[in-house]
Amino acid sequence: MTSVALSPPAPDFKTIAPDNWKLAIVVGLVVSVLATLILPANAAFWVVGAMAAMVAASFVVNAYRRHYYGGLLVSPAIAVLFVMNIFPLVWSLGLSFFAYQSNQQNIRFVGLRNYQQLLTNDLKAPELWANLTNTAMFVVLTVAAQMIVGFLLAVLFAKQFPLRKYLLILVLTPMMLSVVAVGVFFSYYYDPTFGLISQVIKAWGGEQFILMSNKTGAVAGIVFADAWMWSPFVMLLVLAGLVSVPKYLYEAAAIDRVSGWRRFWTITFPYIRGLLMLALLFRTIEAFKMADLVILLTKGGNDTMTISYHVIRIANEQNKTSEGAALSYLLLFVVIVLTNLYLYIANRRSQGA
Amino acid sequence: MSWQYKLTSFAGAAAVATMMSGTFLTPATAEEIVLKMAVPDWPPTRIMKDMFDKQYKAPSGNTVKLEIDFIPWPDFYTRVNASLTSGEQKYNMAVSDSQWLGAFVEGGYFRKINDLIDADPALKAAMDDMHENVRNAYSTYPHKTANFYGFPQFPDVLVTFARKDILCNEEEQKNFQAKFNKKLPCTGEELDDLDWEMFENIGQFFQRKKGENLAGKPADDDFYGIAYQAGKGYDFSSMQINGFIWQNGGNTWDETQAPKGQAEGVVNSPEAVAALDHYLKLIQYMPPVAKTGTMDIFKSDELFREGKVALNVDWIGLGEASLSPETSKVSDKLVFGQAPGTRGADGKMIRWNNIGGQPFVLMTWNTDTQNKEAVDFVKWWLSKPVQTEYASKGGQSAMKSVYSDPNYVTYRPWNRAWAPSLDWQKDVWHVPQFFELLTQQQDQFDLAITGKQDAKTTLDNVAKFQQNLLTEAGLIAP
Repeated sequence: MTSVALSPPAPDFKTIAPDNWKLAIVVGLVVSVLATLILPANAAFWVVGAMAAMVAASFVVNAYRRHYYGGLLVSPAIAVLFVMNIFPLVWSLGLSFFAYQSNQQNIRFVGLRNYQQLLTNDLKAPELWANLTNTAMFVVLTVAAQMIVGFLLAVLFAKQFPLRKYLLILVLTPMMLSVVAVGVFFSYYYDPTFGLISQVIKAWGGEQFILMSNKTGAVAGIVFADAWMWSPFVMLLVLAGLVSVPKYLYEAAAIDRVSGWRRFWTITFPYIRGLLMLALLFRTIEAFKMADLVILLTKGGNDTMTISYHVIRIANEQNKTSEGAALSYLLLFVVIVLTNLYLYIANRRSQGA
Repeated sequence: MSWQYKLTSFAGAAAVATMMSGTFLTPATAEEIVLKMAVPDWPPTRIMKDMFDKQYKAPSGNTVKLEIDFIPWPDFYTRVNASLTSGEQKYNMAVSDSQWLGAFVEGGYFRKINDLIDADPALKAAMDDMHENVRNAYSTYPHKTANFYGFPQFPDVLVTFARKDILCNEEEQKNFQAKFNKKLPCTGEELDDLDWEMFENIGQFFQRKKGENLAGKPADDDFYGIAYQAGKGYDFSSMQINGFIWQNGGNTWDETQAPKGQAEGVVNSPEAVAALDHYLKLIQYMPPVAKTGTMDIFKSDELFREGKVALNVDWIGLGEASLSPETSKVSDKLVFGQAPGTRGADGKMIRWNNIGGQPFVLMTWNTDTQNKEAVDFVKWWLSKPVQTEYASKGGQSAMKSVYSDPNYVTYRPWNRAWAPSLDWQKDVWHVPQFFELLTQQQDQFDLAITGKQDAKTTLDNVAKFQQNLLTEAGLIAP
């Protein structure tokens, strides 16, 4: 059976048919532009939405009549992606060119002023820069701590020893806890009066220990809490790599009397490199977005404000929607550049290997 | 306007249609009206809900239900703000911090209530009976005009929480007298007379290490004389620092003087800088957590309830927990007085402080029926017997006829400080820029509290920021 032969010919551009997607696009565009110009914003929004739905429907009917079943099958996913992801993205990009506050009714086009303010205003720009450097510091410190601890834990748990199974569950627990619980737990842990650390130090004859009273202490406190929570995640990924190394390679290496160091670099490492890179990528992206632990432990005090917390403040608490959107786009730009750099380096490495 | 809103309003219309068709089929009975309300989760609102459920009968004959979202204090602003600005129109009423009025009135969420008050003599009488400072802070926007938006829900002031067992101990009394040549305050009346100088003396005096003698016994942990709020979150240092500034003759940016009133030169005046210096100086005598910028109103309250400090200046709203043996190690050792003041040149106390507490507000999208029921509920709430009962259960009332009753002081140990404190309450910033003003100021105060910058730099930064922001907003004439 040849489905191609059975499919009807595409309708002429000028005929009104449900599968005439070219005409639908043109009509949709014209009506949308007219509606935006003439109707009040409220009504225009729905007209444009209806036009988008019409074009989408014509695509679907067309795909059905032409038997493009592959396209039909992915269309729900594309629809969800569009509604939940692409539309808000474009919408917020649009917002970043306006002066708009979510708790006020007026809106005004200001072009690139929001971006310009963020980058050059003598009150806002230094704050942004300080928050970015703090974030970079947290990214480097937390990810390094997690990679090292996670890797060492994985090497430990790759071996067999008594109670391994139960210890593994214990080590994985922090990752499954809610961040809020971890934050509250650590804020008590570090508390100079009630806290465990302070009590232990005092028991040794020292003074009360105030960890969070300066930047070094506050950063150490946050990094430790974050590493405590997320090192198990790195461990899990690395462990998966470690157990996938075929035993016979080690046996062959043992026969050749290869040194332990060399065995690691030539056999073990190539197997876990991909997973290590994946862990690094995941943790870097997460660390870049860190706000929760900072809010819970210091509220941004002692110069620990991160860029995400800054965005939350501007966009959610101060209702400066447009400025928040502009800031988010600056961040998105930074993340895209960083991710591409990372992928470029990762690819070059794997080609070189 | 979001599509979710359209959907919900469509669903709402459908529901109304179904209900209406239902009423044709069944004999007409009393309607059920639901009032949805967002409130902070603490005793003053829990008590209200409890009283409502047990007692309230709507005069209209309808069944009125109060559906309350109890939201923890630290998230309260964020949650209410998100709900209002998203346009979901979820709540019919909310407890609002007094400083939110401007932001949410300008946003078109809070309903003006002048017409409701004018149409109802009983309600008008209740509002007229309110202490003027409370009414100005909770109801008016722009501040101190005749435009009303809020009904008092729970009025609150700062008071001094103190430990009788420590302060009245004979040995401590004797030693204190020897060291400072003053009497260590022990009774409520003596605490009322507490100025910041004495407060500082008490801080210096009670700095005991674990094992050192404290009121005749070895201290079971390090012990401190004094505590007050010095936290970075929400308004957990501004509310104390404002008091210091006003008592010292300085001022905050005065919204009633807009657009002529300036920020620069006022906010960072020499008086204000001296006041902030004084506030910062006392922190060295407080539990060490104060140095981390996380000693908010909850932390100092916890330290007090755990028996680690002798004096704590905090809101009455948090007081209930210190009285209950389940949540307090010091429940049977308490004495309360007015918040400390500054002694003027003539020896009289100056007690200006920032008012706490909250009004409740109606939303603009309420139906007439909902508003009518809400007003009836408010009238019930602000009636004398209900306010009296509320006060007797641990709430407070700002109605003169209620708090001037001689029995009022017997309800709770801090009530004796209530009426005299009311005359000394001020409030700040009901303007829409409130949250920006607050977060920037809290950030700056935090830098000072944790010792990163001095008082002068701090207030200079605050003044510069406020001048800039308020000029841009048109509230200061350039």
